[in-house]
Amino acid sequence: MTASALTTKLGPLTLANPVIMASGTFGYGIEYADIVDIAKIGAISVKGISLAPRMGNPPPRICETPAGMLNAIGLANVGYDVFVNEYMPQIRARGVTAIVNTYGTSTDDFSELARRFSDVPGVAALEVNISCPNVKAGGMHFGVAPGPAAEVTQAVRRATDLPVIIKLSPEATDLPGVARAVEDAGADMVSLINTIRGMSIDVVTRRPRLGVNMGGLSGPAIRPLAVRLVYQVAQAVKIPVIGMGGITCLRDVLEFLLAGAHAVQIGTASYANPGIAVEIIDELARYCAETGVVPGDLVGKVELNQ
Amino acid sequence: MKMQFLHTIITENRHEGPGYAQLRFRGDTPLAGLPGQFVMIRGDWGFHPTLPRAFSLVRAGAEGAVLVRDVGEGTHRLTQLQPGDALDVLGPLGNAFALPPKGVRPVLVAGGVGVAPLAFLAQQLHAAGRSFAFVYGARAAADLSLKDELAALGPLHCVTEDGSYGETGLVTAPLQRLLDDGTPSAVMACGPHPMLRAVTHLALAANAPVQVALEAPMACGLGTCKGCVVTAHDGVFHYVCSDGPVFDGEVIFGRAP
Repeated sequence: MTASALTTKLGPLTLANPVIMASGTFGYGIEYADIVDIAKIGAISVKGISLAPRMGNPPPRICETPAGMLNAIGLANVGYDVFVNEYMPQIRARGVTAIVNTYGTSTDDFSELARRFSDVPGVAALEVNISCPNVKAGGMHFGVAPGPAAEVTQAVRRATDLPVIIKLSPEATDLPGVARAVEDAGADMVSLINTIRGMSIDVVTRRPRLGVNMGGLSGPAIRPLAVRLVYQVAQAVKIPVIGMGGITCLRDVLEFLLAGAHAVQIGTASYANPGIAVEIIDELARYCAETGVVPGDLVGKVELNQ
Repeated sequence: MKMQFLHTIITENRHEGPGYAQLRFRGDTPLAGLPGQFVMIRGDWGFHPTLPRAFSLVRAGAEGAVLVRDVGEGTHRLTQLQPGDALDVLGPLGNAFALPPKGVRPVLVAGGVGVAPLAFLAQQLHAAGRSFAFVYGARAAADLSLKDELAALGPLHCVTEDGSYGETGLVTAPLQRLLDDGTPSAVMACGPHPMLRAVTHLALAANAPVQVALEAPMACGLGTCKGCVVTAHDGVFHYVCSDGPVFDGEVIFGRAP
């Protein structure tokens, strides 16, 4: 990798630029190869992988809400074996920097996934999802309190030498506390925010618009909440923070950097424009060339009002 | 056919009755596509509404077209687009109707705005010189938005629930007559799920193969968001965008109990 103004160092992980596709919103990346230069994206965090395939939740699984959407997919995925045997070779062949997002229903699941992925070529880092709001077991349960979050982190840390990102939930009552706990337990980075639970009701049928009633809210609607939490977490930890939540353009990326993020993830906005990450990377490169700053110069540089 | 993400402009917004608009659009490169395939489309309106909307193609090529029914905020905005306005188009997506072999008559059955992919199919059959039958049902005359266009292509059986146009009732009555007339038939249908279930059961009872084009809320259109699942009669999940949108009716609805 040639160093450029956009080269981003996240602890043990170095990316060509600080823009990452958020897990669950870009599949395994290769689906977009015909229309997006997927190798140019800093990294793609793939759809969450569990040990066994998961069918996911009954429909409807998504609905649109003001400036965003609710989803309750339920971590439908092909499972470890199919992912590694059928998808990873294509991901490698396409030159994608792959972050593997993992999901388990127990600490043992998470450590087993970490152990197995350690030997899979082409995995740049693990993103441990302790924050999915749409599954009955595991998921967010691990992410809302420091104790369980640290336990999972420690188990994963012991199982792998890969860079470990812990993906955090906005539902924790003390998210800076959870972030400190996973830092102490050996996390290399934290990413935030996962979706926050929401609900939308059809007033004609009087039924919730999602099959499982509640789902995770994403999109520009949650951006101020995400910026606030990224700021608070960045104040609380020394490890790099990856920020996400409703990013749609260069301005939004700069906002997250100023709040304290070292890199960002783009999710829901890529449904509106699958090429949005590449467009933002180009805009960021132009911005850096024109202003003479590199993204790292902006990290945490918000100037608070007194 | 390779998927493209095209920045197109609206060339025409045809009013097709109250709440219906046929949007025609043109990009720098032609949009390939077959009857049954769909596109995800979105106007240039910032991030509210956020998601693109899925529409079956009514035509493809240098100029593409979709039929929009105003049922909410996103579709309302789409019906208001004017020539020259921007429209982002991702497609073609999904599979297409499989044409029956020569000697088997295609019977197209449309319910309401579900007419869109079948109008495209009718044009294709007409251009190929194949005879077919078309059953087109809706609540009222005003919802038979493409009936004039379709009447020019071949025999059209219109049905309305309120009797304001054509035969009074549901599509199942003329479909049954066609299935009973002795001509080997293959049914292709799109419309509300209860209609598709009834059509599937009638076709299978007459030993006619049946394909149904389904619709579901979706965010991506190509199998990544996992949002557009439908539950088949046996409890199996199918993804409308990546497994369909055209399915064997029996796979989704089974046979009549």
